[in-house]
Amino acid sequence: MAERYSSFTPGGTGWLLQRLTAAFLVVVLAFHFFQLHFVNHAADVTFMGTQARMENIGYFLAMVLFLIAGTFHGVNGVYNALVNQGLTGTPKKVVLGVLIIASVALIAQGIWVALAMSGMIY
Amino acid sequence: MSTQQQEPETQEAPEDPEMKGTQSPQERRLEEKESGLTEDADSAGDLEGETVHLKVFRYDPEVEGKQEPRFDDFHVPFEKGMTVLDAVMYARDEYDSSLTFRHSCRQAVCGSDAFFVNGKQRLGCKTQIVELEQPVRIEPLPHQEVVKDLVVDMDHFYDQMHAVEPYFQDEETPAAADLEEQRQSPENREKIKMSSRCIWCGACMSSCNIAAGDNEYLGPAAINKAYKFAMDDRESEAIKEHRLRILEQEHGVWRCQTQFSCTEVCPKDIPLTEHIQELKREAVKKNLKFW
Amino acid sequence: MSQSYNRGLIEDFGRWKEFSAGMWAWIFHKFTGWMLIGYLFTHIAVLSTAIGAAQGETMMLASEQVDVYTGTIQGLESLFIIRVLEVGLLAVAVFHILNGLRLLMVDLGIGLTAQDKSFYASLILTGVITVASVPTFLTGVGL
Repeated sequence: MAERYSSFTPGGTGWLLQRLTAAFLVVVLAFHFFQLHFVNHAADVTFMGTQARMENIGYFLAMVLFLIAGTFHGVNGVYNALVNQGLTGTPKKVVLGVLIIASVALIAQGIWVALAMSGMIY
Repeated sequence: MSTQQQEPETQEAPEDPEMKGTQSPQERRLEEKESGLTEDADSAGDLEGETVHLKVFRYDPEVEGKQEPRFDDFHVPFEKGMTVLDAVMYARDEYDSSLTFRHSCRQAVCGSDAFFVNGKQRLGCKTQIVELEQPVRIEPLPHQEVVKDLVVDMDHFYDQMHAVEPYFQDEETPAAADLEEQRQSPENREKIKMSSRCIWCGACMSSCNIAAGDNEYLGPAAINKAYKFAMDDRESEAIKEHRLRILEQEHGVWRCQTQFSCTEVCPKDIPLTEHIQELKREAVKKNLKFW
Repeated sequence: MSQSYNRGLIEDFGRWKEFSAGMWAWIFHKFTGWMLIGYLFTHIAVLSTAIGAAQGETMMLASEQVDVYTGTIQGLESLFIIRVLEVGLLAVAVFHILNGLRLLMVDLGIGLTAQDKSFYASLILTGVITVASVPTFLTGVGL
């Protein structure tokens, strides 16, 4: 510990981003739950209803941001939990790589789904 | 003439009540031991049935038959004001002289006698027996290797403490020839007051769930020590930045998960979590300046 | 020191009865976090049927021809177990939100001395919100 100083901040930026996404997610997740379980019931969801919501550009952007923020917050949380448990060395690098690939795949898939829902593709 | 007669009287007078008080506790215990059963029987009569049941962790790698950790039971006569340290000392002096533990000042200053008492890290000399449920279970600090009985290996703890450079650093000290002092404002002194109370007992580090898993984590005590210097206005900005750079490494302040375990066990009531959180914000603020 | 004894993790989880509020908050926050990220992946997987639906894929639901998206979601929602799991998801999300707000306050250095009380408050509030939501979540589904 403390032998190697570097100019960037391992952890510091991640820590701040984790808090910023948290503040955003609190609002959007609460809205999302309310929208799809109380305003509309999940059981009554249809493709047409989804399309109608996603065609609103504000809603569409909010959902895409929600996905990105949620993925970052969740995956970064998982990574932190593993580092807290003492994950080091090569396994740590492997885990980080796997998590990054999973996040990118999730976000890409999510955006594709969002585009399909909004009718911007197909 | 009359003054000469008075002198020896005034010298003798304080000797009687006060000199007895300066007898060291060890001398007192030895005396009590020598005077033997008569006094013991006396006090036993006063406090009949009032014994403290201790369950003490025992382990000795050097003696065959003691290499398997076990708990020994001790029944120690209770005395008003008895602390956990008093009780284990009695057990050692009267029952088993091989019972090993660290202790020195017996007044919560030296920080030697942090034990795991009834499932919580506590300072033996600062914990009253009456406040504990019986049997009182006394174990060495968790998450540190046990050397013998209640003695744990503190090397890692000290390494982390030293990693934060726990000493005052300033290039611009006033010239010694001027006999100038380096003054601190009362407000600044107040700010670092609590952090300066640390006695290096290691209770916080032992209670920390993250320090248990991540061996590289600086831990609450070391971060608090760094806080004491980073918040001291007498050090220059450059040195404060240097200190924050040590703290903002991956295994520095960011590992703290605000479980408040350290704050709860600290025998000196240092608001450790609060200090760690403040340093996180300081580190973020420092980096935002460069963006 | 020739030898020493490492007692391992015994005191971490063998002593759960002695855990303090902050420790429980951390355990619950981590547990609910794992659940939520797991759910996010599942959620996107289910919603991926929208890609098929946009391309005109259909399926049978209650002897009716519907698009795959509508069919998959309504098919799942008609299952009682899914509704129960959804209530669980709500509880998990609400706790993570409320305790998350508590942690944000802690990060800002606000109300550190009341951290245990705010944990109990978020637990109770989670319970209340979850129980109050049960009727809404279970409408129109048979056992």
